[in-house]
Amino acid sequence: MFHVSFRYIFGIPPLILVLLPVTSSDCDIEGKDGREYQHVLMISINDLDTMIKNRTNCPNNEPKVFKKHACDDNKEGVFLYRAARKLKQFVKVNNSEDFNLHLSRVSQGTLQLLNCTPKEDNKSVKEQRKQKSLCSLGILLQKIKTCWNKILRGSKEH
Amino acid sequence: MTILGTAFGMVFYLLQAVSGESGYAQNGEFEDAELDDYSFSCYSQLEVDGTQHLLTCAFDDPDVNSTNLEFEICGALLNVKCLTFDKLQEMYFIKTKKFLLIGDSEIHVKLGGKNITSKKLNIVEIVKPEAPFDIRVIYRKGANDFLVTFNTSHSQKKYVKELMHEVAYRQEKNENDWMHVNLSSTKLTLLQRKLQPDAMYEIKVRSIPNANYFQGFWSEWSPTFHFRTPEITGRMDPVLLTISILSFFSVALMVILACALWKKRIKPIVWPSLPDHKKTLEQLCKKPKKNLNVSFNPESFLDCQIHKVDGIQARDEAESFLQDTSSQLDESEKRRLGGGMQGPTWPSEHAAITPKAFREDLPFGCLAGSISMCEALVQSSSRSPDCREGGKNGPHVYQGLLLGPGTTNSTVPTPSPFQSGILTLSPTAQGQPVLTSLGSSQEEAYVTMSSFYQNQ
Repeated sequence: MFHVSFRYIFGIPPLILVLLPVTSSDCDIEGKDGREYQHVLMISINDLDTMIKNRTNCPNNEPKVFKKHACDDNKEGVFLYRAARKLKQFVKVNNSEDFNLHLSRVSQGTLQLLNCTPKEDNKSVKEQRKQKSLCSLGILLQKIKTCWNKILRGSKEH
Repeated sequence: MTILGTAFGMVFYLLQAVSGESGYAQNGEFEDAELDDYSFSCYSQLEVDGTQHLLTCAFDDPDVNSTNLEFEICGALLNVKCLTFDKLQEMYFIKTKKFLLIGDSEIHVKLGGKNITSKKLNIVEIVKPEAPFDIRVIYRKGANDFLVTFNTSHSQKKYVKELMHEVAYRQEKNENDWMHVNLSSTKLTLLQRKLQPDAMYEIKVRSIPNANYFQGFWSEWSPTFHFRTPEITGRMDPVLLTISILSFFSVALMVILACALWKKRIKPIVWPSLPDHKKTLEQLCKKPKKNLNVSFNPESFLDCQIHKVDGIQARDEAESFLQDTSSQLDESEKRRLGGGMQGPTWPSEHAAITPKAFREDLPFGCLAGSISMCEALVQSSSRSPDCREGGKNGPHVYQGLLLGPGTTNSTVPTPSPFQSGILTLSPTAQGQPVLTSLGSSQEEAYVTMSSFYQNQ
């Protein structure tokens, strides 16, 4: 009897606490109709993509960028939030003004459309690592684009 | 007392001062000075200079003293919190690339650093496009319409690409009578019939964002373009007129001729009637001699030798004979034509019909009173004097035998004139008579008759 109560006291509640974050979404997405993305963000992402391709010749093997995070179902907001914050690391002085402005627009615009809880805020700050490669930036931008397309597809179906 | 008087004096003085001010207030100017209408309005122009955007604000009241007033925008900016406007006469503007274009911004009016009034707005909702330009009107004669084209700088921009255009046109003499047309493309067609002929028109165009994401105000009007509509000419092209008149008259003439000559000329060619063998025969035999006795009356031929023949036997023998002679005649004709002109020869060997056998085998069809062709005999000796002389010219038909009603033993069946074959003479182009044997069908007899008819 005693070991049974231990199981219920010390086993199940931690399990619940661990599973809760998996099912719940920490970020609400405001721009689900896609107007902000299609008319503003996508233009900046495409311009950045063009600038990166003109400046570098990226290898075929994909560098390890943002491998730990993915645009999973019900986790799209979290992914975009972390990706947008990571974009800020690529803003550098030796980039052109337009390049930096586009980066800032994608990052800031995405964050503007997300409403994330403070818990998520702290977590993402700790996990950030500096990635300065333009090829990594290109891959990150493609992932952001893919995740936005997934969100818009999902909103159209509903 | 003095103190009291002084106090009262001060009070009155203060009252006067206050009343002076209140008198100023009564005029209402003081209150208005404190409550100046600092309402303002702004519009944005995106990518007006490369990638730079322009935001322009101005007070609604032009009499506002804007000497020490400043405008400031905060929010929805990239990498900065606020930006200060520049001033040009009575207008405040800011030219920057740092608009986020997502979310609301706040515009503050400040006097000496102190916020007087504020307004919340979204830069993408106050967009004023650039005015269209290069408007042209081309008259298309073939289509009887006017093609209106114009250009806009927004076709090259990244953000505000989709616009709605408004074209306005009017006749120059009609003031304020503008016609308006809305379109999303940069081409418009105006029908000629909807415009006054030989009139001077003026036309202009303006644009507004398409309200998909970017919204805002109408742009300024484009420069006006003037054009004149052509006058409607009543006269047709003279060449076209001549051709149309000639064709009308020729058609009319053809119709009249067709009606007049239908019965005599056209119908016989288009729908030829079957030749009447009686008449044809009469015509054939009429020409050579006037005194030629052409008649189907047996009494006219009393001087001719008439030989009675058994019908069935005569028919069989005639058929076999005719088949032989036809094949032989073909060969002889070919030889004759190939070998050139020959003397008039009677292929008598081919045409030699045993009179007896032929006489006996004459079919039932040849009866007295029948108006049909009887089998002809090619027999120079048995020619009647009336028919002989005519033999050189036209085609000859020899009436071999005419059966009387009592000649046959058995009952006579319904006469069928063309049961058996007919042996006739048909002259060649040079006038040489050539024996032509025919089949024993009704159609062949008719063919022969028609050929006779044509030869004549």
